[in-house]
Amino acid sequence: MSDELILELKGITKIFPGVKALNNVHFQLRKGEVHALMGENGAGKSTFIKVITGVFPPEEGQIFLEGKEVVFKGTKDSLAVGIAAVYQHPTTYPDLSVTENIFMGHQIKNGPFMNWKAMHAKAAELLGRLNADFDPKSEMGTLSVAQQQMVEIAKALSTNARIIILDEPTASLTANESKELYRIVKQLRDEGVSIIFISHRMEDMYELADRVTVFRDAQYIGTYDVNGITTADLVKAMVGREIKDMYPKPEVKIGDEVIRIENLSRVGYYKDVCLNARAGEIVGLTGLVGARRTEVMESVCGITKPSAGNVYLNGEKLKIKTPKDAMDAGIILLPEDRHKEGLILSWGLGMNVTLPVQDKLAKIHFFNDNKTEREMSRDLLESVDTKAVTIFDPASSLSGGNQQKVVVAKSLANDNMKVIILDEPTKGVDVGAKAEIYAIIGELALKGYAVIMISSEMPEILGMCDRIYVMCNGRVTGCLDRAEADQEKILNLAMLEKGKAVEQA
Amino acid sequence: MAGKSGRTISATPQKSILKRLLSWEGALVLIFIAVLVMGRIMSPYFTLDNVLREMPKYLAEILIVFPMGFVLIMGEIDISVGSIVCLSATVACFAGNAGLPFPLVMLICLATGLACGLLNGFILTRWPELPPMIVTLGTQIIFRGIAEVTLGSGGSLSYVNSKDLGILSKTLGPFPVAFFVVLIAAAIFIVVLSTSTFGRKLYAIGSNRTAAQYAGIKVSKIRLIVYALAGLMAGMCAMFILTTTFGANTTTGQNYEMDVIAMCVFGGIATTGGKGNLFGALLAGFSIVCLRIALGLINTNPQLILIIIGLLLIISVLISGISQMRGKKIKKKKA
Repeated sequence: MSDELILELKGITKIFPGVKALNNVHFQLRKGEVHALMGENGAGKSTFIKVITGVFPPEEGQIFLEGKEVVFKGTKDSLAVGIAAVYQHPTTYPDLSVTENIFMGHQIKNGPFMNWKAMHAKAAELLGRLNADFDPKSEMGTLSVAQQQMVEIAKALSTNARIIILDEPTASLTANESKELYRIVKQLRDEGVSIIFISHRMEDMYELADRVTVFRDAQYIGTYDVNGITTADLVKAMVGREIKDMYPKPEVKIGDEVIRIENLSRVGYYKDVCLNARAGEIVGLTGLVGARRTEVMESVCGITKPSAGNVYLNGEKLKIKTPKDAMDAGIILLPEDRHKEGLILSWGLGMNVTLPVQDKLAKIHFFNDNKTEREMSRDLLESVDTKAVTIFDPASSLSGGNQQKVVVAKSLANDNMKVIILDEPTKGVDVGAKAEIYAIIGELALKGYAVIMISSEMPEILGMCDRIYVMCNGRVTGCLDRAEADQEKILNLAMLEKGKAVEQA
Repeated sequence: MAGKSGRTISATPQKSILKRLLSWEGALVLIFIAVLVMGRIMSPYFTLDNVLREMPKYLAEILIVFPMGFVLIMGEIDISVGSIVCLSATVACFAGNAGLPFPLVMLICLATGLACGLLNGFILTRWPELPPMIVTLGTQIIFRGIAEVTLGSGGSLSYVNSKDLGILSKTLGPFPVAFFVVLIAAAIFIVVLSTSTFGRKLYAIGSNRTAAQYAGIKVSKIRLIVYALAGLMAGMCAMFILTTTFGANTTTGQNYEMDVIAMCVFGGIATTGGKGNLFGALLAGFSIVCLRIALGLINTNPQLILIIIGLLLIISVLISGISQMRGKKIKKKKA
């Protein structure tokens, strides 16, 4: 890495109707450095990226590429000078081949015809450079998220990019896949590519970045050497206040067993899963992505049908066929994908919260009791401290952290709930909101719920859970107590049965 | 109770009269009035009496608008209703001609419609991943096919005891019975959609089926009920059709599904689900019917009428499409 600047942005201001999305921000990228860009959701990182790639031309400010001022009117302009972005959710074509995805928009042609031979060869070469072990002719949809990301990076390289922007690349990756990505990023850096890296994960930054720039509330806060700043100071820079206790795990007197899952199996997915949770207990369920944690809980909640095994609630055997049955019994799942499964984004917050209980509140079992619903949803939304103006704000208008709070409020609407299952509750949530969600989870335990938390994030599992179940390839490989658990033990269990998959259906 | 930060959230609904007037339903009221005024200017025969005389066969069609609104709000579609009308009318003719008492004939007609709707609902809930458009296209062909086979080589069948049908074509004052049936059906369907838990569930399913299921809504049960309702109302439509045609033939009820979907869409119901209401659909239905009658009274070529209605439909989705795109653009910029 040299001190020579490849990209510099000065005094960038971007105004959207009614909002200043970026307010006089600066940014300097050195040649061959990995530069982390951090900040809470809504700090302006995504807008900033779109200014760099030319999607949003800024109202004020200048962009310099190797000292010369440039103006980008669209992504075409930025691509032409060698700037490529890899977004968090790869915008791929699942039905097309890897090669087709890589060359989408800049195909190699022989006159009017596609030169498939050249494209396959080039694609194979690019993938080889990234040490990818899949065929460029394979269909995109059959690849894992990590592999799709590699394709996206290969796509960036195919345009001869000198600057690559990675937007939350590790958000959907497992620990191992993240390591693989780290390797690729380091390799690209060593080849002289400059990289801008956006992430909510501190590990990513420490592992990769040379320097870090922090934005907060559309403002530039500062640029720091990664080795010269403590985590606490960095979090303070991002959040604007000190977070004293990231994992406020309350001391709860743990009660009797509430839920017990016995030998639950689903052919082709998971086998002989046993676990239990007691009142006031926070039970973690962790493992690598693909360990089938979500699938087990989906069966417990009636979304899919297990092929064998039983679920007991307070000692009574349950017969659950639909999510409604699970809810009536007192079990609710807060799904991982808030947009697809958790919320109706076009609806107001209030109606989202009371959707599971509208039948209970209804007058003569048929007519909506709007007034009660409104008051109830307001109280619940306030109790989890949702940042919203009215209960009629559409759910789509909230940030990820606040959407998660709405989902939690939704589960509290039903007063007969006993077991609350949270699937990756802090996925896509920024540092400040994470701490708030942990506090809410702690409160759930204090209120006497049995809480089951599915999570891939080691720090939150270790920080919040009383007991930790680890799964691998559809089996529970171990259960650790809070006192004995550490990262190494969990990882060992998570990879215990590697290669010994549950027999496929 | 306020959260830790003391932040409070408002739960007071803001009812703005201006907003209501500016809505699509407000525009539809104006369109409806405009159609009436235009009709009056174009033809001196566009009087209440003449309009009401022409009305019954269209009123029968409007009966299907309500369940179709339910189907569309759920984000689905049922294009078999026209064929259900044909099959129900055919069965009713056979039943009537076999000498069964009239109330029983009516019941059989409704039951035929209901059975067809239940079949649609059963297929679609048994295999929930099937596309409703294709399944109901299949049943559309099957139901009409059964009717055609039953009608035999002549392709038509008269309702012999046609005086029995008189009870359904009676008038109360100047208004035909069908008019009141439509109003009663409208009241029931509108109230259910806008104030009941069932209605809210329809919107939930149409907006996000998976989230609705996770929230404990029995999606399959609701879908089955809605498709059954569509069949039942098609059966009811068939009874009123018989009062104007006094028989069934292979073209009975043809294209009704398209007319009805057009009325719903013109009334502001999005075919993508989750949006719109039946009040708009009702207004749109009556606007289209009155426009048709007016154009008919000045002897406009029927094909020309179709062109005009087609244009109206595209303009209406264009207007809502443009306003939606604008909303999205602003949203995108904010993000």
